[in-house]
Amino acid sequence: MITSQLISYFNETINDHDRFVEQWKRTSGGKVIGFLLTDVPEELIHAAGFFPYGICGSNVGQERVDAHLQNWACSLVRSSFALALQGRLDFLDGLIIPQTCDTTRMVSGIWKHARPLPLMENYLLPRQVDRPSARTYLVGELTRLKGRLENYRGTVITNDEISKSISLYNSNRKLLRRIFSLHEQNPECISNRNLYALIRAALIMPREILNDHLRQLVDALQQDCQSSSAAAQTRLIISGSVIEPLEILDYIDQAGGVVVGDDLQNGWRYIEADVRESGDPLEALADYQINRIPFAAYDTVSNPRRHFLVHLASQKQAQGVIFLHLKYCETENYDYYDNMQAFNKISIPTLRIETEFGGSSMGQLSTRVQAFMEMVGGEV
Amino acid sequence: MSKKNAFKTTGLMKELMANYYAKGVEAKKNGIPVAWVTAVFPVELLYAAGLFPYYPENFGAMAGARKVANQLSEVAETKGYFNDLCAYARCGIGDAYADEHPVGKIIKPDLLLCCNTQCGSLPKWFEAAGRFYNAPYFLLDSPQIVEQPDQLCKQYFVDQLKEMVSFIEEITGKPYDYDRLSEVLALSNEACRLWNEILDSAALKPAPFGFFDACFHMAPIVTWRGTPEAVTYYRALKDEVDERLNKGVYAIPDERYKIYFDHIPVWPKLRWFSDLFANHGALVVASQYTHSWAYSFDLNRPLESLAENYTEQFVNRSFNYRIQLKINFMEKYGVDGFVLFSNRSCKPNAFGLYDKHKVISQKTGLPGVVFDADMSDLRFFSENQVKTRLETFFEQLS
Repeated sequence: MITSQLISYFNETINDHDRFVEQWKRTSGGKVIGFLLTDVPEELIHAAGFFPYGICGSNVGQERVDAHLQNWACSLVRSSFALALQGRLDFLDGLIIPQTCDTTRMVSGIWKHARPLPLMENYLLPRQVDRPSARTYLVGELTRLKGRLENYRGTVITNDEISKSISLYNSNRKLLRRIFSLHEQNPECISNRNLYALIRAALIMPREILNDHLRQLVDALQQDCQSSSAAAQTRLIISGSVIEPLEILDYIDQAGGVVVGDDLQNGWRYIEADVRESGDPLEALADYQINRIPFAAYDTVSNPRRHFLVHLASQKQAQGVIFLHLKYCETENYDYYDNMQAFNKISIPTLRIETEFGGSSMGQLSTRVQAFMEMVGGEV
Repeated sequence: MSKKNAFKTTGLMKELMANYYAKGVEAKKNGIPVAWVTAVFPVELLYAAGLFPYYPENFGAMAGARKVANQLSEVAETKGYFNDLCAYARCGIGDAYADEHPVGKIIKPDLLLCCNTQCGSLPKWFEAAGRFYNAPYFLLDSPQIVEQPDQLCKQYFVDQLKEMVSFIEEITGKPYDYDRLSEVLALSNEACRLWNEILDSAALKPAPFGFFDACFHMAPIVTWRGTPEAVTYYRALKDEVDERLNKGVYAIPDERYKIYFDHIPVWPKLRWFSDLFANHGALVVASQYTHSWAYSFDLNRPLESLAENYTEQFVNRSFNYRIQLKINFMEKYGVDGFVLFSNRSCKPNAFGLYDKHKVISQKTGLPGVVFDADMSDLRFFSENQVKTRLETFFEQLS
């Protein structure tokens, strides 16, 4: 298939993801374990023989949540829960919630009460990663989670199975990183919107199918994208929890911007590193988690988030930074002032945009992005 | 809690709290490290090490009670902190940047020690404060107990307590004194025992002491826990409660109903709530909040016991445990109804209340109500709305 056909395939899949998963379930007879974004060990779920499915929120049906969860909870969690209440996640056999903030921590019990599933688990990842206790605990937590998955499946998960899944996920991350780099070199060949659509596809598609299509896409892109169009573009970093709405990427595309890095849970942060393929696989998963790009769930002493962002911006020669925050997301907001100040110090302009699943005004968003891009682009 | 019915011990408390802040200021002058800590934190470890523990949450509650939370918050808001953050944090961050200090200046930390059983807001606030004050930050991380306490999480907490002891040793330059820790734990046990005996008197009908009294008298159990001062204070308060019982002096003049209240009070409206309940013959008798300080430490295994006491608190528990805890309080205190406060500043306590309301009503048959507001910030308080909700609830009682 040629590039455009492959891109259309991915976009259609994410637009119609429930039908895609239902169809996969019918044909494969497999089980689907959902998870809230994003720091769950998908490799472990996959090793158990299940399809880990990332619940990415939605734009409709949030009013159904009002009876269960206050309207000042973040819209990512509200709209994800709304999907369950609308019956649009009925294909799930289980759900794993990573406790990364107060909302994920508390929605777990509400969800279990309102929409119980055969397997409901929390991933209790440590909220500090700088001291030795964190790693010891995390290996224990991964062992506990593995035990729960084994109970549900009925047999033990072998190290060999985990290692194979790690290898499969690594190959996927490599493919996506390759495409990210092609995008950086030649954004006209693969736009911001399409690049992040691929990463979203990774959250909702089984790796086997995904990798097959991504390989074809890499081949097609390498043929199509010989030249480089990057020089003409304004280089941007996005910082926040998730890309929402995807349309913001269209506005950046239209204004001649290229996103060269981020710390988003469904962006570069999701694909930037691989899990070690030697030694004990659970220890490797623990090390991977501990060394991930810092995010708002906690700051680290060894790699403070603002230092990471400043370093990323310098390394990628970014000309501007967009803070893309979800309304009511406390953790992002606590970091914002100091992150913004860190960019002020190195004279990189920033823009803070607050969005909501199902509640963003596209016209206003487009105008703000365009104005920022004019300001930033003017400094080239 | 009406003015004419005020406890004599109130004077002692005011003195004690004034002393507490004076001690903090003095510590700063004398080079004793001031450590910011969180309310549900093993502060015993700090008292034993001779550090001065300072509770910025208390500062936030005080700003709320004095109705200046919005003023301090607005300073934080001009920096980009939004008003959906915890109001205590907004007050603390606001005061750091403010030129005016309506509740006195928050004491600058030399180090920040945070335990995250209560919520994820505190660590984020402490991280931001650590950056602002350029002081080292240490998180005691406690994963939620989803079902039963397990060895994995307990061991993780004990390991971190050891890491924290090393961290304190570096700060003080002295080896940690475990004998002193035993003495402090014993003092903490005694203060908690007295405090809970006082709280228990609310079960008597009529009762000499209720939740709004507890809100007023709880500052020492939070801040002075682990010192002789807290023991002396609660002994005096206990004596006064006993004396009132003997004399037949009760918390409200005409107690007809007992109410469970969840969780924290609306600080700037404490008297408004207290009067509203009293006017309906309703005494609020219990809340998981005031009952949080009910520690009982085993002096023979201090670190393990600290880990158990602090991580197994309701604040670190999940949905079903919290429902059962509320029902247990309702049974123990023989309540006639329950009021659940959906506090914008406190997601861990607010989220889930709508479902909990239904489950508790089904299980107990008691009338209950949920109201929305903020514990400190009056911009999120609609007096009419709250009053209407509570009036409807009071009608259901009779």
